[in-house]
Amino acid sequence: MRFLDLARFVAGALTGHRLRSALSALGVAIGVAAVVLLTSLGEGTRQYIVSQFSQFGTSLIGISPGKVKTFGVPGVFGGTTHQLTLYDADSLEHLPGIQKVVPVVFGQARVEAGGLGRDVYIYGVTHDASAAWKFPVAEGSFLPEMDPDRRASLCVLGPKLAREIFQGTSPLGKRVRIGGAGFLVVGVMEPKGQFVGFDLDDSAYIPVASAMDLFNLTELNEIDVLAASTGAIPGVVEEVRSVLTARHRGNDDFTITTQTEMLDVFGRVMDIITAAVSAIAGISLLVGAIGILTIMWISVNERTAEIGLLRALGLTRQGVERLFLLESALLAGAGGLLGLLCGLGLGAILTAALPGLPFKTSAGAAVAAVAMSLLVGLASGWFPARRASGLDPVEALRAE
Amino acid sequence: MRAPDLLRFAAGALSGHRLRTLLSVAGVGVGVAAVVSLTALGEGARQYVVNEFTSLGSNLLIVMPGRVETTGSIPFGGVTHDLTLEDFQALVGRIYLIRSAAPLAVGSETLRHGDLGRTIPILGTTASYAEVRHLEMASGSFLPRRDPEEAGNEIVLGTKVARELFGGENPLGKLVRMGVWRFRVVGVAAPKGRSLLGFDMDDAAFVPVRTVMQAFDRRTLFRILLEVRSRGEMEQAKREVVRLLAERHHTQDVTVITQDAVLSAFSAILNALTLALAGIAAISLAVAGVGIMNVMLVSVSERRAEVGLLKALGATDGQVLAAFLAEASLLTGAGGLAGLGAGLAAVKILTAVYPAFPASPPAWAVGASLAVSVLVGLTFGLWPAYRATRLDPVNALMRR
Amino acid sequence: MILLEEVWRTFQVGEAEVGALKGISLAIRRGDHVALVGPSGSGKSTLLHILGCLDRPTRGRYLFEERDTGSLSELERSALRQSRIGFVFQFFHLLSRLTAAGNVELPMMFAGVAPEERRTRAQEALRSVGLAHRAKHRPDQLSGGERQRVAIARAVVMGPSLLLADEPTGNLDRASSREVMELLERMNADGLTLVVVTHDPDIARRARRVIRLSDGTMEEEAP
Repeated sequence: MRFLDLARFVAGALTGHRLRSALSALGVAIGVAAVVLLTSLGEGTRQYIVSQFSQFGTSLIGISPGKVKTFGVPGVFGGTTHQLTLYDADSLEHLPGIQKVVPVVFGQARVEAGGLGRDVYIYGVTHDASAAWKFPVAEGSFLPEMDPDRRASLCVLGPKLAREIFQGTSPLGKRVRIGGAGFLVVGVMEPKGQFVGFDLDDSAYIPVASAMDLFNLTELNEIDVLAASTGAIPGVVEEVRSVLTARHRGNDDFTITTQTEMLDVFGRVMDIITAAVSAIAGISLLVGAIGILTIMWISVNERTAEIGLLRALGLTRQGVERLFLLESALLAGAGGLLGLLCGLGLGAILTAALPGLPFKTSAGAAVAAVAMSLLVGLASGWFPARRASGLDPVEALRAE
Repeated sequence: MRAPDLLRFAAGALSGHRLRTLLSVAGVGVGVAAVVSLTALGEGARQYVVNEFTSLGSNLLIVMPGRVETTGSIPFGGVTHDLTLEDFQALVGRIYLIRSAAPLAVGSETLRHGDLGRTIPILGTTASYAEVRHLEMASGSFLPRRDPEEAGNEIVLGTKVARELFGGENPLGKLVRMGVWRFRVVGVAAPKGRSLLGFDMDDAAFVPVRTVMQAFDRRTLFRILLEVRSRGEMEQAKREVVRLLAERHHTQDVTVITQDAVLSAFSAILNALTLALAGIAAISLAVAGVGIMNVMLVSVSERRAEVGLLKALGATDGQVLAAFLAEASLLTGAGGLAGLGAGLAAVKILTAVYPAFPASPPAWAVGASLAVSVLVGLTFGLWPAYRATRLDPVNALMRR
Repeated sequence: MILLEEVWRTFQVGEAEVGALKGISLAIRRGDHVALVGPSGSGKSTLLHILGCLDRPTRGRYLFEERDTGSLSELERSALRQSRIGFVFQFFHLLSRLTAAGNVELPMMFAGVAPEERRTRAQEALRSVGLAHRAKHRPDQLSGGERQRVAIARAVVMGPSLLLADEPTGNLDRASSREVMELLERMNADGLTLVVVTHDPDIARRARRVIRLSDGTMEEEAP
């Protein structure tokens, strides 16, 4: 039998039972739609996280004190006996491949002005932080260029903090009290949003030496290094390691984190989560397959006489088997396509309703979903097809 | 028509098509099994966290330095006011609601014995810590009772540290080095396992708090742990702690969290996660429902003559509807039971393999999955059953 | 007991309207034995279905036991079929998954009769058709004549006043036919009104009245 004829014959059988075929396909469609929707959400979230990290640029390298990986986040406890100091930061300044070095101290303190106050994070940094972190200033200017170990009573406010304590008036040139000490506001940052739980807009930036005074610290929480290019990162990491190890009397007691490493880790975690959730949604595909199996089984039983006739007219066993396999593959494939469209449609509606929703369908996932449904059809059609081809033509003809 | 008659009639009709019935039951079963085992996993995770917290002691107040408005619960980094040992002494002396209390100062350092070394968190505390955290000893005793302001050379090792540094040797009475400091091992803590936030309590060591503050040049405590006399007094104790420390620091700059607050936050997150997973798995129930609808439609059209006969014998439309609905919900109900059995078996196997993980499906999930499976039958059976009542009895009887 | 006045029944076949019954007027007395004869498509079965409240006339009135069936709800008509009217079909229409007794119990089940009482009454009905010993058998273990007698037991178990039989012997051999007809006639003699649709002139001859239908109209023949 030529494939085209086979296909036409099968399509005829399927449209003969419109409702039944539609419902069988619908079962698969629901499963595929769920898988498409969930993988798209997973992919969207992954891309969202990537963009969150790369907003600082991919060539940023973080150095934290301590080598303790058990804590998850290094330096949570504010360092070890081997501290990262301003001198360490200074020693990195002129290494090849390094564009900017930013010593960082952070902590929380109360920012007050005109009777209003707010407990927020305070970052002690240098002039270069704005450029290294890609945080542009909206009003005024960032902290001026000066020696990292010099104190200055100057501060730059995050936009949310500025709004909360100045109530819409411009804070430029005004004075605020941070942890009891007076500071002059020289700038307001542009809105940046949340970053892994930290509200970057609800914070203030002051010179690093002043922050160390304020928080009574002798060490840095972190040193951020901006490499000249992404390609220079491995070299820079090596340089930094050898310089700091030498300075710390041969102890490798700090942790260097690159953006690409972080991204890799997050990407892997997201991939696992997406795969797990899709697998759970894939259970519906299994159930849909059982539905197709049931209907195909019924169909073979109903059409016993027809099968007998086809055999009598000269169709081979293999031909009968192919007929039913194709039938169930078509059912599931149609369901897969329908599910893909529904998934994409629902996704479009969802993103329209909730614009913040990370939703991104990868072409690979879409193709995989439809291919999977075809496979489901073939697998669930196998058993009924075997039964159909195994029927004795004489017996089958007698069935009516 | 009486309910038992209805069920017997439906069961009779179903047993006529064994394979078809079996497949339909399997479809629902797979869905219910997925829901049951996933909720069991979620509930297990929740239970695990709850256990972790209760092992911390249930009447625990945790005082930490610093306070941030937007980030909510846990501040870290530098602070403008230290949480000092004097603060700790004041709390112990002046708040009568406290049963016992322990200060906590933390640093990380390499502990050495002979040629072996291991970089671990060093926790500085007092003798009360063992009571507050319900810490049991494997051998020796915990830190001796003495004035918190006095340093000392005693050290208590976590089991893992003891194993890594001493191998099979008994560490009691032996000396370990930490930088220039020497300690004498007085005890080894019983295994406690990985605690919250991935903090491995077996891979840490305890020394007197004053010693840690000197060794790491700490002015501020990391935490103060307070055990309140009774659960009912938690809120009052929390208020008094906040008030006393605000008085001492002249500003409110500490964060006090209760076990319950953290616990309920975790619980809420894990519950939401469980619900989401169960919801995704429940999509397969909808797919199974579509399958059941399909099979029931086939069944109705196959049994036209029967429907006609029933009407001729005086069955009302309501009775015909009820008969087919009973059939559909029997199918799904049986599927629900089978799925419940399979799900519970899967959970049993899991708990046999990982005895530490308290996975068990919550009662609501068991009840709901059975109720939902019957509901699926009623919902998806409704249309086929309605079609049965619309069959013209004359036509139905005339056909053979 | 039965009164038909100018009863019409038309069917929509594609565009055309086909009349199956064209103005039938007929009265049947309680305890009568009527044979409906006529060629295929003459409207015999349609008339029988209308008499059995399975179908409704397009036009005209049908009074059953002095009640106008046209004004009855579907539920009331079901109740009539349940208790006042019995059906016997050419193809028996026994449910193959139920035993003989189970089939006889069906109408009582719909009427909500208690299981205990159902069992005794079914047993009694089977005894009255001479099949008490076959109660536990399934239809496929019974001969054609036995099947039809089970169907008759089922038709009369609720104590109806009217029994409608559509070609009751159409699928039976001579001997079984005679048995079945004798059974029906015995019940008729006990006061049951009997209406039989048949092709078989021998069967028709046994009736008290013979009504011949042709092309939807009727003429009565002298017996």
